[in-house]
Amino acid sequence: MPEIGTPALVYMIAALVVPFVRPAMLRQLLLLAVPVLGLLTFWQLPYGTYGAFNLMNMHIGLMRLDALSYVFGLIFSLAAFLALLYAWHVRDTVQQVATLLYAGAGLGAVFAADLVTLFVFWEGTALASVFLIWARRTEGAYATGMRYLIVQVGSGVILLAGIVLFYRETGSIAFSRMDLESPATWAIFLAFGIKCAFPLLHNWLQDAYPAATITGTVTLSAFTTKLAVYALARGFPGTELLIYIGATMTLFPVFFAAVENNLRRVLAYSLNNQLGFMVVGVGIGTPLALNGTVAHAFCHILYKALLFMSVGAVMYRTGTSKASELGGLYKSMPLTMIFCVVGAMSISAFPLFSGFISKSLILSASADTGHYFVWLALVVASVGVLEHSGIKIPYFTFFAHDAGHRVKEAPFHMLLAMGITAALCIGLGVFPSLLYGILPYAVDYTPYTVTHVVTQLQLLLFAGLAFAVLIRTGLYPAEIRSVNLDFDWTYRRLLPAIIGALRHVIVGTWRFGVRITMGRVDRFVAGIYRAHGPQGPLARTWPTGSMVLWIAVLLGMTLVLAYI
Amino acid sequence: MTDHPNGEGAGMPPLARLLSFIDKPHNVTRVFYLLLAVCIALGLSDFLYHKHAYFAVEEFPAIYGIFGFIAYVTVIFLAKGLRLIIKRPEDYYEPFAIDTEDERAAGSDPEATGGKPHA
Repeated sequence: MPEIGTPALVYMIAALVVPFVRPAMLRQLLLLAVPVLGLLTFWQLPYGTYGAFNLMNMHIGLMRLDALSYVFGLIFSLAAFLALLYAWHVRDTVQQVATLLYAGAGLGAVFAADLVTLFVFWEGTALASVFLIWARRTEGAYATGMRYLIVQVGSGVILLAGIVLFYRETGSIAFSRMDLESPATWAIFLAFGIKCAFPLLHNWLQDAYPAATITGTVTLSAFTTKLAVYALARGFPGTELLIYIGATMTLFPVFFAAVENNLRRVLAYSLNNQLGFMVVGVGIGTPLALNGTVAHAFCHILYKALLFMSVGAVMYRTGTSKASELGGLYKSMPLTMIFCVVGAMSISAFPLFSGFISKSLILSASADTGHYFVWLALVVASVGVLEHSGIKIPYFTFFAHDAGHRVKEAPFHMLLAMGITAALCIGLGVFPSLLYGILPYAVDYTPYTVTHVVTQLQLLLFAGLAFAVLIRTGLYPAEIRSVNLDFDWTYRRLLPAIIGALRHVIVGTWRFGVRITMGRVDRFVAGIYRAHGPQGPLARTWPTGSMVLWIAVLLGMTLVLAYI
Repeated sequence: MTDHPNGEGAGMPPLARLLSFIDKPHNVTRVFYLLLAVCIALGLSDFLYHKHAYFAVEEFPAIYGIFGFIAYVTVIFLAKGLRLIIKRPEDYYEPFAIDTEDERAAGSDPEATGGKPHA
C-alpha cells in the first residue's frame, strides 16, 4: 500500500463513494473491504510519524505509528470490520456512511501525533456517531441524540480550549505525556474524562447507547470510549487521581446495572465499569498496568461487541431488549445463546476466556504497587461484572421464565459476526501470547497459575452459587418495566426545573416592574394632561382684553425698572 | 429428548433440544446441587496446592469463594435498596426518551412482534 498519511482517509473516501454504489450487495462488499484496506495502510509500516507537515508554524503529524497506537489501530479496524459484517442486512445509507466516518475518525484520532489533529478527529467521532442514534428516527431518539451531541461536542470544545492554552504555554501542540498542573492540561484531562465516562460525567453513555439502532450500538460500543482510554494512556499515564476515578467507575455502575431492565442499558453500565479497570491501569502507570489497560481495551472491545451483538440479534428477532419481556429464548436462538454465553464468560474473566488474561494484568499491577484497597474494589467489581453481564444478560434473555417468543435463529451474517468474535474471545483466552506479543511493553506475566485459576474460579462460581440461592429463594430483584434515575436526572429534570422556576421569578418580576412603571407613567401623563390638555388651565382660550392688560402691566414694569 | 413438557420439543432446533431438560424443575434442582458440589470441591482444593498469596488473609481456605459469595449477596441487596430510591415509571422522561417507544424502530426484523405495549 502507498503511504497515504492516515488510514482515516480510506474511510472518508469510501464514505463519499458508498452512497453511489449499487446494487446493495456490491455496496456491502465495498463496506467490508474498507477496514481491510485501512488496516493495510499501516499494517506493515515501520514505527514512526507519517503525514507530517507544518501548518502556521505548528507541527502536524497525521499518523504516529508506535506500539501503543498500533494496538488500538488494529483493534479499531477489527471492530469496524465485525460491526459492518453484523450490519450486512442494513440498507440505510445514513447508517453506512456514519459508520464509516465514525470508525475512520476513531482511527484518525488514535494515530494523531499532535493535538490539533486529535481535536479534529475527536469532534469527528462525535458528529458521525450521533447519526447512528438519529437513524432510529423517533422523537425520543432525536432528543437523546441531541443530549449526546451536546456532551460530545462539549468535550471537544473543552479539548480545544485546553489545546489553545497548552500552545500558549509551551509553544508546542505535540500530543505526548502531560502533567496535571495548569488549566491547559486540566482542560484536556476533563475533555478526555467526559468521553471516558468518568463518574458524574458518564450518563451520556447509558442514555445514548440503548437509543441507537441495533447495529449502531455495536459500532458505538467500540470506538468513543476506547479512544478516550487511549488518549488517557497517551497523555496521563501514572496520574494518581485516575486510580481513584477508575476504582469508583468500576463499582458504582454495578448497582445500577443490577436493577436496570433495558438489557442494552445494562451493557452500557457494564461498559462503564470495564472502562474503570482500564482507567485504574492508566493511573497506576507501570509497564504492567499500561499493558493491562491496552490488553483489556483490546479484549473488551471484542467481548462487549459480542454481547451487544447477541442482545441485538435477540432484539432483531423479537423486537425488544427488555429483560421483563424476554426469557426462554434458548429454545429459538440456541446459537445466539452460546455466543452470548461466550461473551458473558469473557467479560466475567473465566479462565480460558479473554477477560481473564487481560484483567488480571491490572489486578496484579494494583496489588504489586501496594494499592490494596483499589485491588479490593476491583475484586468486588469483578463479582459485579459477573452479576450484570455474566449472569443477568444471558439468564434473563435465554432462560428464566419463558416469555413465549417463538422466533427464528439470528440471520446468518449476524451469526457469522458473532461466531468470529466469540472465536477471538476464546482464542485470546487460550493463547494469551498472541495478545501479549503486541502490547506496548515487554510482558513477563503468566496468567495461568494454579493459584490464579483456582481462586478466580472460586470467586466466580461461589458468586454464581449466590445467584442461584437468591433466585431459588425469590430474593433476586425482579425485572420490572421502569426507568431508574441516575445523575442525568440533574440535567434532565432538576436543571430544567430550576430554569423553569427562575423563568417564573424573572417573568413575574418583569411584569410587576412593568405594571408599576406603567402606573407612574400613566399618572405623569395624566398630570400633564390636566395642565396642558384641552380642559387644562394652560390651554384655556383667554379673552384678548386680558392679554392687552398683561402687556400693559409688563410695559409698566419695564418703565419702572428702566428709571430706578 | 422429545418428552418436552409443552410437547414442542420436535419444533426446536436440535441444539435447543439438547438443553430442554432444564425446563423441568427437578432438573434445575439437580443443576443447583451440581453447582454446589463443584463449589465445595473448589473450596476444598485449596488444601491441595501451595497458594501464591499477596496477602496473609488469602491463605485462608476458600477465602475467594466466601468473599465472592458475600460480595454478590451484598451487591444484590444494595442494588435492591438503591432501586427503592431511583425507580420511576417507565414514561418518566417522556417524550424525550426512548424508554416507552416501540423498540422495533431500532431496526428489527419486519416479522418481529415486540414486547408488551406500554401502559
